[in-house]
Amino acid sequence: MKYALAVHGAPYATQAAVHALSFAEAVLDQGHTIERIFFFHEGVYQGLNGQIPPQDTFNQNLLERWQALTERNVELALCIASAIKRGVLDDAEQTRYEQDHPTLAPGFELVGLGQLVAAINSADRYLEFPA
Amino acid sequence: MKRYLFVISRSPYRSSHAMEQLEAAMVAAVFDGQVSVLFRDEGVWNLQENQSGEASQQKTLSKVLAALSSYEIEDLYACHDSLVTRQVQMDNALTVKTLSLAEQSQLIAASDAVVTGQS
Repeated sequence: MKYALAVHGAPYATQAAVHALSFAEAVLDQGHTIERIFFFHEGVYQGLNGQIPPQDTFNQNLLERWQALTERNVELALCIASAIKRGVLDDAEQTRYEQDHPTLAPGFELVGLGQLVAAINSADRYLEFPA
Repeated sequence: MKRYLFVISRSPYRSSHAMEQLEAAMVAAVFDGQVSVLFRDEGVWNLQENQSGEASQQKTLSKVLAALSSYEIEDLYACHDSLVTRQVQMDNALTVKTLSLAEQSQLIAASDAVVTGQS
Protein backbone atom coordinates (compact mmCIF):
# COMPACT_ATOMS: atom_id res chain seq x y z
CA MET A 1 0.00 0.00 0.00
CA LYS A 2 1.16 3.53 -0.72
CA TYR A 3 1.04 6.07 2.10
CA ALA A 4 1.20 9.86 2.32
CA LEU A 5 1.98 11.38 5.72
CA ALA A 6 1.79 14.89 7.13
CA VAL A 7 3.55 16.12 10.27
CA HIS A 8 2.29 19.27 12.02
CA GLY A 9 4.27 19.36 15.28
CA ALA A 10 7.70 20.76 16.10
CA PRO A 11 10.55 18.47 17.25
CA TYR A 12 10.89 17.77 21.00
CA ALA A 13 7.73 19.84 21.60
CA THR A 14 5.04 17.36 20.61
CA GLN A 15 4.92 13.64 19.91
CA ALA A 16 4.15 14.28 16.23
CA ALA A 17 7.66 13.35 15.05
CA VAL A 18 8.08 10.28 17.24
CA HIS A 19 4.69 8.91 16.20
CA ALA A 20 5.23 9.68 12.52
CA LEU A 21 8.75 8.23 12.48
CA SER A 22 7.73 5.04 14.26
CA PHE A 23 4.79 4.65 11.90
CA ALA A 24 6.89 5.36 8.81
CA GLU A 25 9.62 2.92 9.83
CA ALA A 26 7.02 0.24 10.57
CA VAL A 27 5.18 0.57 7.25
CA LEU A 28 8.46 0.46 5.31
CA ASP A 29 9.54 -2.62 7.30
CA GLN A 30 6.25 -4.26 6.28
CA GLY A 31 7.00 -3.68 2.60
CA HIS A 32 4.71 -0.72 1.97
CA THR A 33 5.84 2.52 0.33
CA ILE A 34 5.63 6.15 1.41
CA GLU A 35 4.98 8.60 -1.36
CA ARG A 36 6.04 11.65 0.60
CA ILE A 37 6.16 13.05 4.13
CA PHE A 38 4.83 16.58 4.13
CA PHE A 39 5.82 18.94 6.95
CA PHE A 40 3.32 21.69 7.57
CA HIS A 41 2.84 24.49 10.11
CA GLU A 42 5.19 24.05 13.11
CA GLY A 43 6.16 20.71 11.57
CA VAL A 44 8.64 22.50 9.29
CA TYR A 45 11.02 22.81 12.25
CA GLN A 46 11.69 19.08 11.77
CA GLY A 47 13.82 20.16 8.81
CA LEU A 48 15.82 22.81 10.66
CA ASN A 49 19.55 22.13 10.51
CA GLY A 50 21.74 22.15 13.62
CA GLN A 51 19.34 20.51 16.09
CA ILE A 52 21.15 19.25 19.20
CA PRO A 53 18.93 16.62 20.80
CA PRO A 54 18.64 16.61 24.60
CA GLN A 55 20.88 14.05 26.30
CA ASP A 56 18.32 12.07 28.22
CA THR A 57 17.31 8.48 28.73
CA PHE A 58 16.00 8.01 25.23
CA ASN A 59 18.63 9.92 23.22
CA GLN A 60 16.19 10.50 20.42
CA ASN A 61 17.93 12.00 17.40
CA LEU A 62 14.91 12.92 15.32
CA LEU A 63 16.85 14.58 12.52
CA GLU A 64 18.98 11.46 11.93
CA ARG A 65 15.89 9.28 11.90
CA TRP A 66 14.22 11.51 9.30
CA GLN A 67 17.34 11.56 7.17
CA ALA A 68 17.59 7.76 7.34
CA LEU A 69 14.19 7.59 5.64
CA THR A 70 15.55 9.31 2.53
CA GLU A 71 17.79 6.26 2.03
CA ARG A 72 14.57 4.25 1.80
CA ASN A 73 13.25 6.49 -1.00
CA VAL A 74 11.02 8.66 1.17
CA GLU A 75 10.74 12.30 0.16
CA LEU A 76 10.89 14.81 3.04
CA ALA A 77 8.98 17.87 1.86
CA LEU A 78 8.50 21.08 3.82
CA CYS A 79 5.69 23.51 2.97
CA ILE A 80 7.66 26.43 1.57
CA ALA A 81 5.27 29.09 2.91
CA SER A 82 5.32 27.61 6.43
CA ALA A 83 9.11 27.14 6.29
CA ILE A 84 10.42 30.46 5.06
CA LYS A 85 8.32 32.51 7.46
CA ARG A 86 9.91 30.49 10.28
CA GLY A 87 13.44 30.94 8.91
CA VAL A 88 13.89 27.47 7.46
CA LEU A 89 15.62 28.37 4.17
CA ASP A 90 17.24 26.33 1.43
CA ASP A 91 20.03 27.76 -0.73
CA ALA A 92 17.62 29.32 -3.22
CA GLU A 93 15.50 31.07 -0.57
CA GLN A 94 18.58 32.18 1.37
CA THR A 95 19.88 33.85 -1.78
CA ARG A 96 16.49 35.26 -2.76
CA TYR A 97 15.94 36.90 0.63
CA GLU A 98 19.62 37.79 1.10
CA GLN A 99 20.05 35.90 4.36
CA ASP A 100 23.45 34.89 5.74
CA HIS A 101 23.07 31.12 5.77
CA PRO A 102 20.75 28.40 4.53
CA THR A 103 19.11 26.65 7.50
CA LEU A 104 17.52 23.61 5.89
CA ALA A 105 18.91 20.24 6.98
CA PRO A 106 20.29 17.86 4.30
CA GLY A 107 17.68 15.44 2.99
CA PHE A 108 14.77 17.87 3.17
CA GLU A 109 13.36 20.09 0.44
CA LEU A 110 10.99 23.05 0.24
CA VAL A 111 7.90 22.50 -1.92
CA GLY A 112 4.50 24.08 -2.56
CA LEU A 113 1.25 23.07 -0.88
CA GLY A 114 0.24 21.43 -4.15
CA GLN A 115 2.71 18.66 -3.36
CA LEU A 116 0.63 17.72 -0.30
CA VAL A 117 -2.46 17.38 -2.46
CA ALA A 118 -0.53 15.50 -5.16
CA ALA A 119 0.76 13.04 -2.54
CA ILE A 120 -2.74 12.45 -1.13
CA ASN A 121 -4.11 12.00 -4.65
CA SER A 122 -1.67 9.27 -5.54
CA ALA A 123 -1.61 7.50 -2.15
CA ASP A 124 -3.92 4.79 -0.89
CA ARG A 125 -3.89 6.20 2.63
CA TYR A 126 -3.24 9.65 4.10
CA LEU A 127 -2.29 10.04 7.76
CA GLU A 128 -1.78 13.21 9.75
CA PHE A 129 0.36 13.58 12.85
CA PRO A 130 -0.96 16.73 14.50
CA ALA A 131 0.81 19.08 16.89
CA MET B 1 -11.02 12.39 -7.93
CA LYS B 2 -10.54 12.31 -4.18
CA ARG B 3 -13.03 13.58 -1.64
CA TYR B 4 -11.37 15.89 0.85
CA LEU B 5 -12.81 16.98 4.16
CA PHE B 6 -11.12 19.92 5.89
CA VAL B 7 -12.06 20.20 9.56
CA ILE B 8 -11.84 23.62 11.20
CA SER B 9 -12.03 23.21 14.96
CA ARG B 10 -10.34 26.35 16.33
CA SER B 11 -11.66 29.86 16.76
CA PRO B 12 -10.59 32.54 14.26
CA TYR B 13 -7.93 35.21 14.92
CA ARG B 14 -6.13 33.49 17.82
CA SER B 15 -4.11 31.30 15.43
CA SER B 16 -3.64 30.79 11.71
CA HIS B 17 -5.47 27.42 11.88
CA ALA B 18 -8.64 28.41 9.99
CA MET B 19 -6.87 30.51 7.37
CA GLU B 20 -4.26 27.83 6.66
CA GLN B 21 -6.93 25.13 6.47
CA LEU B 22 -8.81 27.22 3.92
CA GLU B 23 -5.65 27.83 1.89
CA ALA B 24 -5.04 24.08 1.75
CA ALA B 25 -8.71 23.51 0.85
CA MET B 26 -8.40 25.94 -2.06
CA VAL B 27 -5.28 24.15 -3.33
CA ALA B 28 -7.10 20.80 -3.12
CA ALA B 29 -9.99 22.30 -5.11
CA VAL B 30 -7.60 23.64 -7.76
CA PHE B 31 -6.22 20.08 -8.04
CA ASP B 32 -9.76 18.91 -8.90
CA GLY B 33 -10.49 17.48 -5.45
CA GLN B 34 -14.07 17.38 -4.26
CA VAL B 35 -13.77 19.57 -1.17
CA SER B 36 -15.98 19.86 1.90
CA VAL B 37 -15.32 21.97 4.98
CA LEU B 38 -16.67 21.08 8.43
CA PHE B 39 -16.74 23.59 11.29
CA ARG B 40 -16.97 22.15 14.76
CA ASP B 41 -15.98 22.84 18.36
CA GLU B 42 -14.50 26.36 18.65
CA GLY B 43 -14.25 26.40 14.85
CA VAL B 44 -17.91 27.40 14.57
CA TRP B 45 -16.90 30.93 15.64
CA ASN B 46 -15.55 31.36 12.11
CA LEU B 47 -19.19 31.51 10.98
CA GLN B 48 -20.22 34.29 13.38
CA GLU B 49 -21.80 37.37 11.82
CA ASN B 50 -20.32 40.89 12.03
CA GLN B 51 -16.66 39.88 12.11
CA SER B 52 -13.86 42.39 11.67
CA GLY B 53 -10.43 40.91 11.08
CA GLU B 54 -9.03 44.39 10.50
CA ALA B 55 -9.25 45.09 14.22
CA SER B 56 -6.37 42.61 14.67
CA GLN B 57 -4.67 43.15 11.29
CA GLN B 58 -5.98 39.93 9.81
CA LYS B 59 -8.24 38.91 6.94
CA THR B 60 -11.89 38.68 7.93
CA LEU B 61 -12.59 34.94 7.98
CA SER B 62 -16.29 35.15 7.17
CA LYS B 63 -15.44 37.08 3.99
CA VAL B 64 -12.89 34.46 2.97
CA LEU B 65 -15.57 31.80 3.56
CA ALA B 66 -18.07 33.67 1.42
CA ALA B 67 -15.50 33.66 -1.43
CA LEU B 68 -14.94 29.90 -1.35
CA SER B 69 -17.68 29.31 -3.92
CA SER B 70 -15.44 30.93 -6.55
CA TYR B 71 -13.06 28.00 -5.93
CA GLU B 72 -15.98 25.60 -6.41
CA ILE B 73 -16.03 24.83 -2.71
CA GLU B 74 -19.75 24.80 -2.03
CA ASP B 75 -20.10 22.17 0.67
CA LEU B 76 -19.80 23.93 4.03
CA TYR B 77 -20.99 22.07 7.11
CA ALA B 78 -21.24 22.95 10.78
CA CYS B 79 -21.76 20.87 13.88
CA HIS B 80 -25.25 21.59 15.20
CA ASP B 81 -24.34 20.97 18.83
CA SER B 82 -21.26 23.23 18.65
CA LEU B 83 -23.36 26.09 17.22
CA VAL B 84 -26.12 25.75 19.81
CA THR B 85 -23.77 25.44 22.79
CA ARG B 86 -22.01 28.68 21.85
CA GLN B 87 -25.11 30.52 20.58
CA VAL B 88 -23.27 31.48 17.40
CA GLN B 89 -25.27 33.77 15.11
CA MET B 90 -24.27 32.64 11.64
CA ASP B 91 -23.35 35.20 8.97
CA ASN B 92 -26.29 35.15 6.56
CA ALA B 93 -23.96 35.59 3.55
CA LEU B 94 -22.88 31.98 4.14
CA THR B 95 -24.67 28.84 3.04
CA VAL B 96 -23.87 26.24 5.67
CA LYS B 97 -25.63 22.96 6.38
CA THR B 98 -25.80 21.97 10.02
CA LEU B 99 -25.11 18.34 10.85
CA SER B 100 -25.80 16.08 13.81
CA LEU B 101 -22.95 14.03 15.24
CA ALA B 102 -24.19 10.97 13.35
CA GLU B 103 -24.24 12.94 10.08
CA GLN B 104 -20.69 14.19 10.74
CA SER B 105 -19.61 10.62 11.25
CA GLN B 106 -21.10 9.72 7.84
CA LEU B 107 -19.37 12.71 6.22
CA ILE B 108 -16.00 11.63 7.62
CA ALA B 109 -16.58 8.01 6.56
CA ALA B 110 -17.45 9.16 3.02
CA SER B 111 -14.21 11.18 2.66
CA ASP B 112 -10.95 9.82 1.21
CA ALA B 113 -8.77 12.25 3.17
CA VAL B 114 -9.63 14.14 6.35
CA VAL B 115 -7.36 17.12 6.96
CA THR B 116 -7.44 18.52 10.48
CA GLY B 117 -4.51 20.94 10.37
CA GLN B 118 -2.55 22.32 13.27
CA SER B 119 -4.00 22.82 16.72
